[in-house]
Amino acid sequence: METPHYVAARVQRVLAEDDRTTELGIRVDVRGEHVFLRGQVPSEKRRRVIEEVAREATPGLRVHNEITLVEVREPGEEEHL
Amino acid sequence: MTDLRIAAVADIHLGSDLSGQYRKRLEDIEHRADVLLVGGDLTRHGTATEGRIVADELHGLPIPVIAVLGNHDYHSDADRKIVQTLRDAGITVLDDDAMTITVNGVRLGIAGGKGFGGGFAGKCASEFGEPETKAFVRHTREIADRWRRAMKDLDADRTIVLSHYSPVKETLMGEPPEIYPFLGSYLLAEAADAEGADLFIHGHAHAGMEQGVTPGGVRVRNVALPVIKHAYAVYCLDGEGQ
Repeated sequence: METPHYVAARVQRVLAEDDRTTELGIRVDVRGEHVFLRGQVPSEKRRRVIEEVAREATPGLRVHNEITLVEVREPGEEEHL
Repeated sequence: MTDLRIAAVADIHLGSDLSGQYRKRLEDIEHRADVLLVGGDLTRHGTATEGRIVADELHGLPIPVIAVLGNHDYHSDADRKIVQTLRDAGITVLDDDAMTITVNGVRLGIAGGKGFGGGFAGKCASEFGEPETKAFVRHTREIADRWRRAMKDLDADRTIVLSHYSPVKETLMGEPPEIYPFLGSYLLAEAADAEGADLFIHGHAHAGMEQGVTPGGVRVRNVALPVIKHAYAVYCLDGEGQ
């Protein structure tokens, strides 16, 4: 069985390099047969695609998608420098 | 005293799935700010198609829009095309140079470009060893040198540096320290300090913090969208100059 440490590194690299994702900010943790994806993205579609690409890269492992959506709020208070 | 109201955002990462979404958040921006600065990573893959989406999203605003590219915008080797598309849409793109606009009678100078990495003083790469290492560090040094020259030539009351990469570690807090050398370089801060900038705007570090300061006292703001969590941040500088 591939060492979890290397599985995590491989998934993180795939998420950065796969044209469907090109996500550099997703944290990948592997514990036994469980793969945890964490981070923030701006759309549900991107969230789903990241999970799909991670699943393809980790056959036989269980992927938990804990990625949250960034909510872009109306501009807030201004800061006086 | 006239305040300059600077709207700033970075890492908007627009693609076809977000087309039209960001634009909605820019409504009424002219009542909140005098200028909009966009600190790179405008796209996801850096394709010409995504460049057009960005141009559509940012064009025709009632206030000037000044942008730089980020690392994502270089990914498909279409960076020159993206720059041209944005310029055709009336957006100023800084590429290691500077420009001046007059806002309420105050001359605001904006200098910058993408920037690059290398790390921070005492814990950084140097131009030593393999050609690949030297090229990496040289790229940042040459960028910083161009920024210094561009700032030196500015005739402005206030100066802002606009970058994608960070000049300091403070605004990277929250990112793994191991990747700091890929997130910024102290050479960028040194350039801003040497030429006396008033504010340094950057993005790139999605998990970082908003506020920082250079060793020379220039305020730094990381405006990556996931950090500021608003469509843009607004910073007010008094227009009296130094």
